[in-house]
Amino acid sequence: MISQRAVELTAAALAGIFGMAVVVSSLDNGIGWSESGVDAGTFPFLIGIVIALGSAYNFARGVLLTYEIAVTAPALRRVAGLFIPAAIYIAAIPTLGMYVASGCYMFASLGLQKKQSIVRTVILSIATPVALYWVFERLFVVSLPHGALFAIFGL
Amino acid sequence: MANIESLLHGFTIAITFPHLFLMVIGVLLGILVGVLPGLGAPNGVSLLLPLTFGMQPVSAIILLSSMYWGALFGGSVTSILFNIPGEPSSVATTFDGYPMARDGRPSTALATAFGSAAFGALVGVVLITLLASWVAQVALAFGPAEYFAVYFLAFASFVGVGGTPPIKTLVSLAIGFAIAAIGIDTVSGSVRLTMGIDELVKGVNFVVAVMGLFGIGELLLAVEEEFHVKAVSSKVDWGEVGKTLIGLPRYGWTLLRSAAIGCWMGITPGGPTAASFMSYGIAKRLSRNREKFGYGAPEGIIAPETADHSAGTSALLPMLSLGIPGSATAAVMMGGLMIWGLNPGPMLFIDQKDFVWGLIASMYVSNIVAVVLVLLTVPIFAALMRIPFYIIAPLIFIICTVGAYSVSNSYLDVLLMFGFGVVGYLFKKTSYPLAPLVLAIVIGDKAEDAFRQAMLMSKGSLGIFFSNALVTCLVLGGFAFLLLPLVFRARRPREQDSMLDTHES
Repeated sequence: MISQRAVELTAAALAGIFGMAVVVSSLDNGIGWSESGVDAGTFPFLIGIVIALGSAYNFARGVLLTYEIAVTAPALRRVAGLFIPAAIYIAAIPTLGMYVASGCYMFASLGLQKKQSIVRTVILSIATPVALYWVFERLFVVSLPHGALFAIFGL
Repeated sequence: MANIESLLHGFTIAITFPHLFLMVIGVLLGILVGVLPGLGAPNGVSLLLPLTFGMQPVSAIILLSSMYWGALFGGSVTSILFNIPGEPSSVATTFDGYPMARDGRPSTALATAFGSAAFGALVGVVLITLLASWVAQVALAFGPAEYFAVYFLAFASFVGVGGTPPIKTLVSLAIGFAIAAIGIDTVSGSVRLTMGIDELVKGVNFVVAVMGLFGIGELLLAVEEEFHVKAVSSKVDWGEVGKTLIGLPRYGWTLLRSAAIGCWMGITPGGPTAASFMSYGIAKRLSRNREKFGYGAPEGIIAPETADHSAGTSALLPMLSLGIPGSATAAVMMGGLMIWGLNPGPMLFIDQKDFVWGLIASMYVSNIVAVVLVLLTVPIFAALMRIPFYIIAPLIFIICTVGAYSVSNSYLDVLLMFGFGVVGYLFKKTSYPLAPLVLAIVIGDKAEDAFRQAMLMSKGSLGIFFSNALVTCLVLGGFAFLLLPLVFRARRPREQDSMLDTHES
């Protein structure tokens, strides 16, 4: 279970850190006025200040929140059930390539996670990469990453 | 009337076989993304964008805008039949559309929704036809200072009337600006905000951001809310449809008022979602049979649908004539315009007459195509909703991943998209608005350039923003919008009772 306060504070903290990173990074480009006009860092610098100050305000508002549930435990499990396999899928793309990774991802989500019938799982796991190949590589001539695995076999 | 002449010329471009074909494809794809929860108009259009690079700009914009209309219609289908809004902008349609359908009148509910949606779209297009070239003519006289003032006004109106907590809107906007600044600075040529990641020199593509924020973010929300599909019958009774459409003019006043609200919210960047809620609220407050709202009142369907579509359509007016998109989807289309080598703004009306009037004429045609197609395909798309969501969810995820990759064949974009997805989910949970963020990513650079050019002209004096009546009005208008939330807060204690009343009932 996650409280609304925790979610608010996380959002404000992340935004605030981003704002400060923007401020620090913009100093490299110079802020203020020079012969060539407004320096490149000025605009990001001001924007970063706005993000940081706004986030500080939102953080303070978040601290004052009364207790309220943002995500219940079963809902959190469902979100994790999509998020974790998806993260693994994305991490696997450079090695397995888009096609194999997509097929495996479908297989894992349907067959292992949702216990679908083996026929349905296999058909969908094969149909997905084939459809991707047809639409992208054939129809629109966009090459998707084949991955390190394929490179070993020289494909 | 020069406008009418240009429009007729536009029709000769829009009504050709290839363009009609593109409209049908666009509308069907649009209904598809509109029906599927987790895929919406902004990321549907951005998914299609890379596939249009080889097309003529006018064909490409017809395809993308048709998809937008289709998505607006598709969102209403699921709202009414399943009580699941396929689009954020059709949430308000569920309030009365679903109860009416559940009471055994799905055809009436659908026909009411589509009829008023078509009316809203028509008002929006007529407005564009009459006003767009006039606005563009005025904007031709704009210098950098005026442009910055218009951008400022647009962004300030988000903070003032966006309906989300103002400081959160401000942070969301600023994050968008910061993301737009990443990469090579167009004025000085120096590299900014790459945070040590060399590949970020090319900047963050707005398509990747939209795909993550709207696509993955919505997907995570959709699995979290775990809906049970309890569909009502999706058979369309054509006699009932005809009777309802003929009866619609009885609600003329509601139609006109909702269209006016929608046009206003579309031209100022309030967007269709805010428009539909506002229109519903006002219709309920002014209606004589207020107690029927929430139980299938026809006005409760007409008000949000008309406003939603007139806002969606008129959002293209500022995009075409000023280069400022009125909604997130319009922002994505404007990004497309820039990729196709067009410069959105008043010069379009001089250099690209065929493009502008071809698009405007196509809006008349494709909305008719959309109404016909959506009525014909309701049973098919309703059947699609019976596919379990745990099969659709990974598929949508794969589509977004591949879509993000294909933008510039980069794995970094896939990682960025995933990151944006997490941010999108987090921001949705904490009611930070996403539309201003996307808008700022698309036009952030232009706003900054306008500011810096204005400063160069004035040699560093902010006085240039008050140098003539027009620019002073725009800037003061912007500040007025920024201060609006403070005014509301000061008034709120007195209004609290009536506010609570509308929420409870």
